[in-house]
Amino acid sequence: MASIAFKRVSKAFDKHEVIKDLDLTIEDGKFTVLVGPSGCGKTTLLRMIAGLDPQTSGSVLIGGKDVSRIAPGKRGVAMVFQNYAIYPTMSVRENIEFGLVNNKVRKAEREELVEGISKAVGLYEYLERKPSTLSGGQRQRVALARAMVKKPSVFLMDEPLSNLDAKLRVQMRIELIELHKKLGATFVYVTHDQVEAMSMADTIVLMNKGVIQQEAPPDEMYRRPSNRFTAQFIGTPPMNVGELGESGSLFGFRPESAVLSEAQGDEPFSVRGVIATREMLGSETIYQVRSGSGNYMVKCSEDLFAAGQEVYVGVPAAKLHFFGEDERRIDEKESSYGKCMEALRGRSHG
Amino acid sequence: MTKAWRYTGLTLGYLLKTAILIVFVFPFLWMLSTSLQTYRETLSYPPTLVPAMPQWINFAEAMSAGPFLTYFKNSAIVTLSIIAIQLLVMIPAAYAFAKYKFPGKNILFSLVLLAFMIPGQVTFIPVYLMMADWGIAKTLLPQIIPFMSNAFGIFLLRQYFMQIPEEIVEAARLDNAGEFKIMRKIMVPMSMPALATIALFSFVSHWNDYFWPLIMTDAEAIRPLTLGIAMLRETEGISNWHIIMAGNVVLVIPILLVYLFCSKQIVKAFVYSGIK
Repeated sequence: MASIAFKRVSKAFDKHEVIKDLDLTIEDGKFTVLVGPSGCGKTTLLRMIAGLDPQTSGSVLIGGKDVSRIAPGKRGVAMVFQNYAIYPTMSVRENIEFGLVNNKVRKAEREELVEGISKAVGLYEYLERKPSTLSGGQRQRVALARAMVKKPSVFLMDEPLSNLDAKLRVQMRIELIELHKKLGATFVYVTHDQVEAMSMADTIVLMNKGVIQQEAPPDEMYRRPSNRFTAQFIGTPPMNVGELGESGSLFGFRPESAVLSEAQGDEPFSVRGVIATREMLGSETIYQVRSGSGNYMVKCSEDLFAAGQEVYVGVPAAKLHFFGEDERRIDEKESSYGKCMEALRGRSHG
Repeated sequence: MTKAWRYTGLTLGYLLKTAILIVFVFPFLWMLSTSLQTYRETLSYPPTLVPAMPQWINFAEAMSAGPFLTYFKNSAIVTLSIIAIQLLVMIPAAYAFAKYKFPGKNILFSLVLLAFMIPGQVTFIPVYLMMADWGIAKTLLPQIIPFMSNAFGIFLLRQYFMQIPEEIVEAARLDNAGEFKIMRKIMVPMSMPALATIALFSFVSHWNDYFWPLIMTDAEAIRPLTLGIAMLRETEGISNWHIIMAGNVVLVIPILLVYLFCSKQIVKAFVYSGIK
């Protein structure tokens, strides 16, 4: 097994610098998800690990060893592509076997491995079939089996679930978590879908414009976002963020942290507004409240209000987040935290 | 639209197709028919399409008019060597142009396209002199060497390779496959239709090639079938059309056989490039 380290890595495509002086360590045996909007550099990082698009400068280490000069096929990594990249002219068996043949694994051993893996992913009956006769989910499994059979120390996955329908995606998510537990290899998973990131990751690495915004386990990333971008990228609907007056600081709260009531409470944040839209999703209802200071999304477990109704949006002190002028999180321990809280309370309760 | 109109349309369609078919098939049938007639029958008026008595002896006569076995062997060696060498040159070249980034790639590819546009007539004298200089004029090599590379084939195959998703090549690299293995196991099997098309075009043009061997050969031992058949005409000062046509039938049979085997792949190649 192996950890992965980026040391002052930069990557440019035709003089256009996508990633600059990036440092990152991906822990051994962990399920790490690289997430961010499209064009943020997450796939570029993944391809650097694979060696498909080597870095322009800096070094990439796998298991403590600099792999900058090692060919993709010799790095001990396997990759699952978004479009699966199955070899269409080969049977399922040949697809799974191809890497083993190239690594000169003996025939008897090869057969044993292929049969074992194909049984594990439910493809045993399809071994002699051509990929074109398989469904999307089955092709996905061929791609997974092809990666697994090489027993790599690092698994790289580039949005492997995005071509599946919603139901199958949820199922595959669970299977991938189980697979990770079983194999104990280092998983690096790229997605733009924050739900996938939250549900599968041990550690999320959130990127934007080639810069790492935050690197944390899902719960920490959700509860203590380190800046405004993280706060608004993770979570649906995103965190409500508003300005805090002249200082340029910002306050924020999650849609589910707010309480709607007909009378004003004594929370530090409390504003009056009108319900503009109501989305009833079954187990929860999402309201959009329009107020003098802005629009706020509020998620409630109960469906008590109707569109057009006048309500108060209240947020308790513990659920409030503050961000400085530079959009970085202001921690509870910092002196400016109290000032922000005062400013917000003053604004809400005049 | 009424039923009557639709039937008229259909009928018209079939009539036109039949007309086109006749235009293409008639010369072929005429050749077949003439090859089975007697000398007198070929000169009779009105001409007959069905020979009174098939003269299979014409074939034997055509074949005994010269060293046809040698001609046939020469044609086969030259054509097959050209196709084999072309494929060996073309596949790696097209792969590099389609899937690699390297300095000067565009200039090199333009050169390939340029080669494809230069008419053969411009180069035949220098090439002839060169081959004569090398002292290989008495071998089959001068008929092979100038055609070792096929610019049109490189162009067509590159376009085809470019349609193959990058990820498939990358997946193979991650599977520790070398570049030649990627070509052999992935690119070539995925491009069979294009390769079959190129090979067939190449086969037809070199099997039927008359001009270059005419210039380049001066001995029976290295002449191809096309020259041998052309020479049938000159025997005894009169035109033995029945013998010439028998020779032509022999010339055409290999092409028909190859086409029979390739046609499915060729149709696929054109359908693919049509969709994409």
